[in-house]
Amino acid sequence: MKIALIGNQNSGKTTLFNLLTGMQQKVGNWPGVTIEKKVGIIRGTKHELIDLPGIYSLSPYTAEERISKEFILKEKPDLIINIVDATNLERNLYLTSELLELDIPIIIALNMIDLLEKKGIKINDRKLSEQLGTEVYRISARKGTGIKNLLSGIYTIDVKVRKHIFHKELEEKISRVQDSYFQGQKNKRFLAIKLLEECDENENREVSLIRKQIEKEYGEDIDEIIATQRYEYLDSIMQNTLIKKKRNSITDILDAIFLNKYLAFPIFAFIMCFIYYISVGVVGNIAVDFVANIISELKLILQNIFYASNVSAWINSLVIDGIVEGVGTVCEFVPQLAILFLCISFLESSGYMSRIAFLLDKSFRKLGLNGKSLIPFIVGSGCSVPGIMATRIIERNEEREKTIIFTPFIPCSAKLPMIALFSGYFFPDNAGLVSASFYFLSIIIIIISALIMKKDYRKNSYISELPDYQFPSLKYILKDVIDKVTAFLKRAGSVILICSIVIWFLLSFSPSLKYDVDIEESILAQIGKCISWIFYPILGENSWGASVSILQGLIAKEQVISSMSIIAGLGGEIENMFSNGGAFSFFNYASAYAFVAFNLFSAPCFAAITAMGKELGSKRKLIGALLFQTLIAYGIAFIIFQVGSRVI
Amino acid sequence: MKHTLFDLKVGEKAKVISIDIKDKAKKRHLLEMGLTRGVEVKVKKIAPMGDPIDIELRGYELCISKDDLIHISVELISS
Repeated sequence: MKIALIGNQNSGKTTLFNLLTGMQQKVGNWPGVTIEKKVGIIRGTKHELIDLPGIYSLSPYTAEERISKEFILKEKPDLIINIVDATNLERNLYLTSELLELDIPIIIALNMIDLLEKKGIKINDRKLSEQLGTEVYRISARKGTGIKNLLSGIYTIDVKVRKHIFHKELEEKISRVQDSYFQGQKNKRFLAIKLLEECDENENREVSLIRKQIEKEYGEDIDEIIATQRYEYLDSIMQNTLIKKKRNSITDILDAIFLNKYLAFPIFAFIMCFIYYISVGVVGNIAVDFVANIISELKLILQNIFYASNVSAWINSLVIDGIVEGVGTVCEFVPQLAILFLCISFLESSGYMSRIAFLLDKSFRKLGLNGKSLIPFIVGSGCSVPGIMATRIIERNEEREKTIIFTPFIPCSAKLPMIALFSGYFFPDNAGLVSASFYFLSIIIIIISALIMKKDYRKNSYISELPDYQFPSLKYILKDVIDKVTAFLKRAGSVILICSIVIWFLLSFSPSLKYDVDIEESILAQIGKCISWIFYPILGENSWGASVSILQGLIAKEQVISSMSIIAGLGGEIENMFSNGGAFSFFNYASAYAFVAFNLFSAPCFAAITAMGKELGSKRKLIGALLFQTLIAYGIAFIIFQVGSRVI
Repeated sequence: MKHTLFDLKVGEKAKVISIDIKDKAKKRHLLEMGLTRGVEVKVKKIAPMGDPIDIELRGYELCISKDDLIHISVELISS
C-alpha cells in the first residue's frame, strides 16, 4: 500500500514518521524545490509511507501545499494518515475538512494525548469520529503509545459517505460544478471546490461566473466564504466533543521571562554565547585535539609497519599522507558537528527556537531574511556544515536559500588559525582588534548581500505559531544527531577523502610523474603558477604558493596555513615565512588582510559545499552560490588591497 | 469603536470584523489559521520592539507582524 502522512507543522509528524519507519527511510528533495521528501517502509510491513510537508491547508499558495496536493491527486495514495495535534484541535481539523473532500480513505491520528490532562482538555473521540465520519486513534508519538492500534486501523478502512459541510446555497453551486466538469471522476468533490476557488477568469468563464454569484450573495470573497463556513462546521464539532478547563500554563510563565522586554535579549545573547563556547571553545580544543592525536598515533604505527616491511616510498606516502590524512580531516569535523547538532535539536524541540524568530523577526525581515536565520549564523561560527543544515528550520524558500548562501560568510573555527596568524604577525599591537574586525566585516558583507538579493515586490510578513514549551525527548534528539552526523559522513566524507588523495597526488608528483620532488616541482605548484596572475590584483605579487594554499583550503580551511608552512619549507617558526627571504615575504599589511578576507569569504571547504549542494537541491543554484561568494570575496579583497596599499 | 489588532494591549479581547489585506495568499493564510469574521481573539504577548504580537484564538497562539495587524479591524470586547 502507498500511504501518505499529512498534518500541520509542529503536530509531531516527524516523530510519528520516525516511529513508524525506524531506520528504513530515504531522504531526498521534492523535484525542483529545496523541500525535504521522506519515504519509508512501515516496520513489520511492506507498506510505503510518504511524509508530506507540514501544511495548514491545501491552498495553492505555497510550494509545500502545491506539492502535497499534486502528490495526492497524481500518485493517488491508498490511504491517508492525518496526524492532528490534540492540544490544538480546531485549527488542525481545518486541513482535515479539506482532506475529507477526497475519495481516499483517511484515518486520524490524534497525537499528543499525553499532554491533554496537563492542559485540562478532554476530548470525546467517539463523538469526534462520528461527526467527522472517519476513525480516530489516540496516540502519543513522543511516548510511543497507541501506535499498534493506529496500525490496525490501516486495514479496516473503506470510504464512508462524507458529509457536506457548507451552506445550502454553496453546496448547490458545488454540485453544479461537480456534475458539469468532474462527473464520474475520483475526488470529484475536492476538484470541484478547488476549481470554484481557484479557476482563472480567462480560463473558465462559466465557473468564474458561478463564483461571482456566490460572492455577491454573501458579500465576501470566496476565500472568506469557504474559510468561515469551514470554521462554523468545526466550531460545532468542538462544542460537541471538546471540554477545556481554564489552566495556568507553564508556557505563559516561561514566556513572561523569555519574551520579557528587558530580559529577552540578554537571555538570548547568553544562550548563543554558551553554544559558541562549548562548540568552538571546549569542543574545538579538547575533542579536535583528541582526534588529531589519535590520527598522529595511527600514522606512526603505520610508518613503523611500512618501514619494517620495506614498503615502497610512494605507497607509504599515499596511505599515510593521503588516505589517513584525509580520513583524519573528516573525523576532526565530527565532534564539533555532533555538539552543534545537539544544540540545534535541543533549541528546536524545546520550543525556544520559535521565540528566537519572534524576537528577531522585525530586524531580519528588513534584510529579507527570517529571524530564525540567526541560528545558522551562530552555529556557522563553529562549523558551516551544521549551520547550513540548520537552515531547514526556515520555512520560506527564498529566505532559506539566502541564509544557506550567507552562512559560510561567518568565519568558522577552521578559519581561526589563519585569522590569528596573520593578525598576530602583521598587527602585533592590535591583534585582538584585527581578528574581531574580520567578524564585523563578515556581518557587513552579509547585510550588503542580503540587501542586494532582496526582492521588494512582496513584503514578507511573519505569521507563525508559538508552540508550547516542552521537555525535549532525549531519544528523539539522539536519533536526530546520529542521523545528521551519518549523513555528513556519507556525503562529505567520501568527497573529502577523494579530494585529499587527489591533492596528495598533485603535490607528490611532478608533471613527468617523478615521485618525491621538491614542492615547487609538483603538479599542484605548476597549476598554482598558471593561475597566480588571478590573485595578483589582491596580493600585489604572482605567488604560486599563495594560489596553491588557497586551493588547498577547499579541503579544509585549516589547510591554508599548513600548506603555506610546507611551501615555506620549514618545521620551525611559522612566522619566518613572512620575513626577508621567506617564501611569503612579499606580504604587507594590505595584502595580508586582503588574503585572509578572500579565504574567509570565497567558496567554503568541500564539506560545506556538499552541504550547500544538498540543501539548495540543484547544481545550478550551487554553482550560482559559489560564484556569488567567490566574486564578493574577490571584490572585497581587491578593494582592501588597492585602497590599503595606497593609504599605508 | 473601530480598532485594528495592532491597537490592542496585552490581555485585551476583541472580535474580528474584517481583514482588509490585498495580498490574496496572505489573507487566505490568515483565514485558514482561524482569523475569520466574528472570531474572538486575545492578545497574549508583544515582542520587545512592539512587533510581532502573539494572539490567542480558537484555543491556540498565533504570531502576526505589524504589517498585517494594521489591516485587521476588530471590535473591543469589554473584559
